[in-house]
Amino acid sequence: MERVVTINLNGNSYQLEEPAYDALRAYIGRAEATLADNPDKGEIVRDLEQAIADKCARFLSPAKSVVTADEMTTVLTEMGPVEGEGDAKTQRAESPGVEGARKRLFRIRDGAMIAGICSGLSAYLDIDVNIIRILAVVLGFVTGGWLFLVYLIAMFIIPSAHTSEEWAQAHGVPFNAQEVIDRAKREYARVSEDISRDWRGSWRAQRRAWRDQSRSWRAGPFFADVQGPGRSGEFGAQPQAPARPVGYATRIFAGLAAFILSVAGAALLIGFLVALFALLNTGAVLNWTPPADVPLWLAIVILCIAYGAISTPLRYLRRASYAAASGYSYHGRPSGDFIAFLAMIAGAVLGYQFIPEFRVWVEALPETLRAIGQSLRAL
Amino acid sequence: MSQDEQFGGVRKGLLEFALLTIISVERVYVADILSRLAQTPFVTQEGTLYPLLSKLRRDDLVDYEWVESEAGPPRKYYSLTDKGQARLADLAAYWRLLTSTLETLGR
Repeated sequence: MERVVTINLNGNSYQLEEPAYDALRAYIGRAEATLADNPDKGEIVRDLEQAIADKCARFLSPAKSVVTADEMTTVLTEMGPVEGEGDAKTQRAESPGVEGARKRLFRIRDGAMIAGICSGLSAYLDIDVNIIRILAVVLGFVTGGWLFLVYLIAMFIIPSAHTSEEWAQAHGVPFNAQEVIDRAKREYARVSEDISRDWRGSWRAQRRAWRDQSRSWRAGPFFADVQGPGRSGEFGAQPQAPARPVGYATRIFAGLAAFILSVAGAALLIGFLVALFALLNTGAVLNWTPPADVPLWLAIVILCIAYGAISTPLRYLRRASYAAASGYSYHGRPSGDFIAFLAMIAGAVLGYQFIPEFRVWVEALPETLRAIGQSLRAL
Repeated sequence: MSQDEQFGGVRKGLLEFALLTIISVERVYVADILSRLAQTPFVTQEGTLYPLLSKLRRDDLVDYEWVESEAGPPRKYYSLTDKGQARLADLAAYWRLLTSTLETLGR
């Protein structure tokens, strides 16, 4: 069911479905913008409106009084884009528009099933998304699952279209502000009607929160005056640098780096856990047995520090890649995490020195953990 | 790439010529012009035509008058002004010069 808007075109009233009205208004808006410098703008727009009205009349009959969105699309396609004066100025203005409309592969998260790769491909190849999805699933089985791995990697590598310009690039349509507004309105109406998709909105809000968090984390006061180029007098009073969009190629590269770093990070964590359990169970890591005068707890602490030392820069790089892949350049500052980690270790050591209860608890810890490990193995 | 795309610039420059030629034959309104052009390489749309017609009118090459139609609102019928006739003659002469030059160059 659509709301109907009644409009007046040169003195006659026409009833349009709301999306049809939006499309018409966008068309007239574009025409007015194109003809902004034209002294006959008002007259041309009236002529255009009349021509549209004539074309709409074709779809109307005593039995049908409302112009649908599809019919309006047909009419406006027949009308064609309104061109300014065919002089050099217009032509020059057109060429960057064509350049900007260059197609690029993006992930499109609106209407995505998983990560929006199929939607992006569908926009890029101009093929219905469902065909792409079916093809993907069939190919996935034919290739014995390898395509799913490719999908997984593509999820990291292909940037997702965040901005309206990127959305336009993904579809290969010229970017135009009015179109974007109308599309956003349509999208909003569609999504808000579909209650089952509410979670997606909250998920997006969550992601946005994370992104903001990571951005403020980057610009946060912790290390603001260690490397910050424009050091300000007050601690942490440095204004947050505006996010700078980065190029498509950079984002591809950053996506690839983010993928590799994520895999490396996960491998490292697994390695760390394996080493930790090996240490607890056998008192040795790989073939290395700690010297007899190094207590087990110290070996564990050393292992933790080693893990922290390797994983922290890795994590820092990974976050940088994610930030870049999501479309923002990243001005690197060392993470506060490593400092926090060292502070924790220092606190533990001081506690061990000066608080007897803590010392007893720490010394009993390896035994406790070993008992837990053994009971786990017994399961 | 089709000829349509390749020679868009050439056609664009000549559309005005085509338009003046059509209008010179008889009084026409926009739907007539569009249908006359529809089967030619100059096929065009309202979005292009109205601004172009308004430019021609501003340059005093064409004029229009309102004519009542049997169905629907009155229509604008375009005709050439004297200046438009002169312009069309100039254009035609110039066009002949261009084509003969191109033929000579090819020899």
